[in-house]
Amino acid sequence: MSIIYILPMAASLIGALLCLARIEKFEEIISVIMSVSTIIFSIVILFLPDVSDAFLFLDGISKIMILTISIVYTMTVIFSTTFLKYIDEPLFQKRFYYLLLNLFAFSMFFSVSVNNLGLVWVGIEATTVTSALLVAVENDESSIEATWRYIIIVSSGLVISFISNVLIYAATDTLDISKLLTMNAFSALLPLGGMMAIIGYGTKAGIFPMHTWLPDVHGKAPAPVSAIFSGVLLPVALYAIIRVIQFTPVAYVKTFALVLGFLTVIIAASLMAVQTNYKRLFAYSTMENMGMALIGISLGGYALIGVFVLIISHAFAKSSTFFLSGNLLSRYKTLKIDDVKGVAKRMPSTAYTLLFDAMAITGMPPFGTFFGEIMIILVLLSVLNIGWTLLLVGFLALAFISMNFKVGKMIFSDSEGEKMDRKRIGTLVPIIDTVFSVAVIFFIPFISKVIK
Amino acid sequence: MKDFFMLIGFSEVLLVIFMQWEVYVTKIVKTFSIGSYIISIFLFYLSFVQHSYLVLILAILTAAIRGFFIPTFILRRLSKDPRRERESKPAMGTAFSIIISLVIAIFAYVLYDVTMLNFVGVLSGAIPVALIFQGAFLIISRKNAFIQLIGYMVMENAAFLFTGYLFPDLPFSVEAGTVLDLIGVVMISGIIMRMRESTPKKSDDFDELRG
Amino acid sequence: MVILSVIQLIYVLALAPLIVGIISTTEEKIESKKGPSIFQPYYDLIKLFKKENVVPAKSSPIFRIGPYVTFALYMLLTLVLPIITAFPLQFGPVVDFIGGGLTFGAAATFKKLMALDSRSNYAHLGTSRSASIGALSEPITVLIFIMLGVISQTNNPYVINNVLQTSTTWYLSLVHWFVAAAFFMVLLVETGKLPIESHSTAELGSIDQSMEIEYSGPDLAFFKWGGYAKQFLLMSVFLNVYTIPFWVPMKMDWNAILIYMGIQLLKLMGLAIVFAFFEESVSKFRLLKNFDYISIAFSLAFLSFLAFSVSR
Repeated sequence: MSIIYILPMAASLIGALLCLARIEKFEEIISVIMSVSTIIFSIVILFLPDVSDAFLFLDGISKIMILTISIVYTMTVIFSTTFLKYIDEPLFQKRFYYLLLNLFAFSMFFSVSVNNLGLVWVGIEATTVTSALLVAVENDESSIEATWRYIIIVSSGLVISFISNVLIYAATDTLDISKLLTMNAFSALLPLGGMMAIIGYGTKAGIFPMHTWLPDVHGKAPAPVSAIFSGVLLPVALYAIIRVIQFTPVAYVKTFALVLGFLTVIIAASLMAVQTNYKRLFAYSTMENMGMALIGISLGGYALIGVFVLIISHAFAKSSTFFLSGNLLSRYKTLKIDDVKGVAKRMPSTAYTLLFDAMAITGMPPFGTFFGEIMIILVLLSVLNIGWTLLLVGFLALAFISMNFKVGKMIFSDSEGEKMDRKRIGTLVPIIDTVFSVAVIFFIPFISKVIK
Repeated sequence: MKDFFMLIGFSEVLLVIFMQWEVYVTKIVKTFSIGSYIISIFLFYLSFVQHSYLVLILAILTAAIRGFFIPTFILRRLSKDPRRERESKPAMGTAFSIIISLVIAIFAYVLYDVTMLNFVGVLSGAIPVALIFQGAFLIISRKNAFIQLIGYMVMENAAFLFTGYLFPDLPFSVEAGTVLDLIGVVMISGIIMRMRESTPKKSDDFDELRG
Repeated sequence: MVILSVIQLIYVLALAPLIVGIISTTEEKIESKKGPSIFQPYYDLIKLFKKENVVPAKSSPIFRIGPYVTFALYMLLTLVLPIITAFPLQFGPVVDFIGGGLTFGAAATFKKLMALDSRSNYAHLGTSRSASIGALSEPITVLIFIMLGVISQTNNPYVINNVLQTSTTWYLSLVHWFVAAAFFMVLLVETGKLPIESHSTAELGSIDQSMEIEYSGPDLAFFKWGGYAKQFLLMSVFLNVYTIPFWVPMKMDWNAILIYMGIQLLKLMGLAIVFAFFEESVSKFRLLKNFDYISIAFSLAFLSFLAFSVSR
């Protein structure tokens, strides 16, 4: 029976291997089929009981992560089929792109379903290995430089999480997540290991002092890759932090995570105000959302549901945003906000989707992100005094204003340019994503039931 | 055991300081290779002390991959373009970076003393911690991609030393996974570095990567 | 005891030029040249003593008395360091290790004053280089003395020798060997060896050499002889205190001391040959690179401190 739990992994891996076949258009078809099948499998898994054996550990959190990954993965694959032709000099052939994309999805599925913290580490490091070349697809100097920063900073951060694994093992004599979650005795090394894990995985999740690679990579990677990075890769890194905080019942570790999350929101919101490059603007918005999620993770309990509502709806909304940024880039050939004018007239469908997405990723009702952030903030109010909470809300408002002001400027400014034709799939996929991010609110009770 | 570990640890520290001093990439790569062999000697010794075959396999893996394969791979990449073999513009002066490296070692020692000593109880565990920080500093202080990669692997080596000495009974699958991932990182880095050399230079492009 | 002091003084002054001769002859031999006799420094000194002094017109009396003052300071040091005995001689209590370091420093300072007073641009060049390198190598020496103090609980070179001779733990400890390595690097700086200074006539790289450029006759002879004695003393300290403290007689015993005088000469010859090989195998650093070298020496001394803390 437990074979069903590894089917998402198996599907993406088989998809990756089949991409090696030298048949025209085959890799696109097979990737779409396999990614859609992962959605089906993950929905089936959602209704199956939790599993915990020697290799796998899936509870509600893992199941929701798998579902999110599979949907964003599918959207990315579908969007890639239309987008790849806009890259002038790709680094490698199309089939290698799909090969790496499928392997990337495989490593993410692997990371969230294994029952060993060491293997979670291996999986997250593997996401770095498989995704690095995807960032460099555009094959110009700055994208390669961004890739290099990504590799070296994230790998160095993950060395710290490796040490944290060692310390956690020293403190508890096990690395099995199922055992760690039920243990009751541990030595005092555990909090230290927990804090190092937050730093190490936080590097991958773009948490404040270690975030420097994030805007570079999101700014330079091709749109679908930015979308999958922002949508699910960073939450996968947060997944490891969620696990660590779950089994570390120490107050100051949680406070540490809270402070880091707080700082991330503040820094990201302040930097959003000064961005002139729309992809980097969206990247800092991702950072801000990850900061909010980390705050929620550190609070735990009710806020954790908020975290998942936030992560899921953000994953859809942000991947949609990045897809649209790809549409903008392929038509306008620039990343500067000032040079993109009159989107509403020239690309109406993209423009209005982007307008909704900009609201969604900054937490406007009725999008899921709003409810997620509200849940986190309500729990935060019971922990911190009102002043700190208001400070946080103030920075969220700053992020909201700068994002929507800049996006609005791009969309509603005047332009003499003529209307540009567009591909159907390229605009359809973002719309579907945006609808999903609204639809998340209907599933909040279901999410809370699954996580409980 | 403790004396042997001290000897290994301090020779690693000395090798890192030598790397800070050196400007020729080939020599730094060879120094790293020597450092990896020294660590594998330590693991061999550990396997004899503990009568553990897994540690022996780990020692052989370390020697083969970190000592031989990775340096050879990097050196082969290097010889394609001799121009890159030397760091032309170091980010900071050599003497300064050596002194900073020492200060970092002291900082790591104090950090270890404050945080972990009470639980681990072995004072010489501070050496690998210092090595991790020094490896990170090597990444920060150099611009050459190869040296940065070496700095990353110095961190990895230090993590291995740390694990091997203080917590030798870590599950084997985890450590083997680490080694395999390292191969992946190095291969990808090799491709990226070759591309860094071959792509045309556009100077105005880098403004996008600031702020 | 007084006799022993006198013997030690004569021993040092008489053999100092020989060691210099051995180093240069060995270097020439390594280069497959015939090379000068190992007694060449003696011939040089004798020849210089026969010549007359020439003094720059504008110099002050410091220029004249300088060589004699530095020579006297090195003679004083000869009386207080463990060279042929490992127990304090008559003048042993006068200074400890720090005091010895200060005396060396005083001699170096006087040398710089002399060079400044010679009113030659080359001498000034050498002085400024020597001062900037010396200012950085001095803290290393202090750190080394502190670490020796940690090992022996004292600043007395004789006690340090005895501790290292008798305690295998200390002798084999990383603390000791880091100190020894750091001192070796400082020794190369202080004695003006490659990779710091090359013995060519090129002014661009010369440091200590250019400081004696205006001297001639007996003044130059004393200047050079003092330099030889300094090198001899530092090498002896390196051997007897840092690396090979063995066989030095710890008790008053005429036979042992007599035999040891021969052993000491052999040790020094060995070190001289090591120096010669070292000089032949490295090339000179650019001047600014010397500071990197010094920072390495400093880090070695500092690592010994770290090793001590870690092995507590």
